[in-house]
Amino acid sequence: MSGNMKYNLLGIAVALAVWELAGRALGADLFAPPTVVFPEYVALLREGQMLRELASSLRQMIVGYGVACLIGIPLGVAMGRSRVCDALLHPWLSMFVVTSVASLVPLFILVFGTGFMFRAAIVFVASIWYVMLTVYHGARGIEPRFIDVGRSFGANRWRAFREILLPALYPYVITAMRIGLVHAIRAMVVAEMFIIVGYGGLIYRAGLSLSTAPLLALLVTLMLVGVAANALLRSGAQLIAPWYERRVVSASATQG
Amino acid sequence: MMRRVNALALTGLSLLTGLVLWEFAARDISRVVFAPPSAVLTRLAADIASGVLPLALLGSLATLAVGFLLAVVLALPLGFAIGRNAKVAAMADPVLNAIYAVPPVAMVPFLIIWFGLFFEARVALVFLMSFFEILVTVAAGARNVDPMLLAVGRSFGAGRSRLVTRVMLPASLPFVFAALRVGLVRAINAMITAELFLAAVNLGALMKHSAQRFDTAGLLAVIVLLCLVGLAAQAGLKSLEARLLPWHVRQ
Repeated sequence: MSGNMKYNLLGIAVALAVWELAGRALGADLFAPPTVVFPEYVALLREGQMLRELASSLRQMIVGYGVACLIGIPLGVAMGRSRVCDALLHPWLSMFVVTSVASLVPLFILVFGTGFMFRAAIVFVASIWYVMLTVYHGARGIEPRFIDVGRSFGANRWRAFREILLPALYPYVITAMRIGLVHAIRAMVVAEMFIIVGYGGLIYRAGLSLSTAPLLALLVTLMLVGVAANALLRSGAQLIAPWYERRVVSASATQG
Repeated sequence: MMRRVNALALTGLSLLTGLVLWEFAARDISRVVFAPPSAVLTRLAADIASGVLPLALLGSLATLAVGFLLAVVLALPLGFAIGRNAKVAAMADPVLNAIYAVPPVAMVPFLIIWFGLFFEARVALVFLMSFFEILVTVAAGARNVDPMLLAVGRSFGAGRSRLVTRVMLPASLPFVFAALRVGLVRAINAMITAELFLAAVNLGALMKHSAQRFDTAGLLAVIVLLCLVGLAAQAGLKSLEARLLPWHVRQ
């Protein structure tokens, strides 16, 4: 593990070095190097607007994302365990999963305006289908043997569901929440950049400035948020069901 | 057999119910705010017949083709290189995770600075959005090739190049196809995103014009068309996969 860690750090160091060299060669107006971005970053942190906008954007995103998880997870389980639910919901799932969030933005603006509802709704439609899809694959893939064994030890349907199916599903639920969160953050930025508000608006306006340093600083913050949230959910999965990690990785890689 | 028919019937029923609900909801609320499906379908048919939509779609697809092909050509070999080498994988992992965490749309200001507002910038966004998706999927797939398969090949005396062509490649094709499917959907998303966020052209321009005139039927017609394109792309790759890798699909 420590050997792996060493290479992880080496990789980060190499990436930073390449960024620095490329940045120096291209200049700050094309691609600011880390040594220029870092002081800019500290300045933005001090000034406070970046974090304020981030907090308020994330608050709105959490609502859409939370509702998507609350609805998407049970629907995904239902689809995975019942042929009828699968037949009823699958066409909608396949359609919406290929529909681009950006293409929905102009429509949603006409329907919801540009306030809180608009942003929450965009995040909701962007993440729910991925949450459903992941949970669906997990629920479908549960070994029938597990349930058979439970049944033959006298578990009724409800007990089999609660004590066999649900624990087997936890890791997939966490994976679904991770994938959903990636899409939720993307959708948040899409929606905000389109109408130039919140954190996305900040990014848009930073793009107009002469130096790319503030733009890169904003992207770094977004990156840190994504990585931190992912790590949090991942360690949650590790805690609940350490033995599933590998299986989940290969399952989420094969799904369409 | 009976089960299949029932499932199909349920699917049809579900779609029909959805459309009917949408129709009534749209009529009840207000036709201006949200067009009913009947209006969207007639609009779609009219715009296809007049040649407006097909022409715009063709323009959009040119961007898609260039960007996606570039992404595939670069991401596939790189993905294999990362996946098959534990040290490289350990080095690339944190960097890829970090880049992956940044929403590609947030790169748009960059693309404008580097490539301007037109074709090159659109291609760049399509490339960016599909490249990492393909790279990550292929790397994961290459890493998870069953070591037993490689061991069997080796014990039957296969050399390095034979192992790669006869064992590695067939074993990783399912992942390659999964990567292409995911990547293509992302590329289509990127295509319309670019047309809306950079200079508005093709389908993006149609959407913007419709939005300015509060014409939700026009907007929904483009959305439906895009959705159909995405579904067709998925189905096309799936049938190609079924033809090329019958063993995988049967599993």
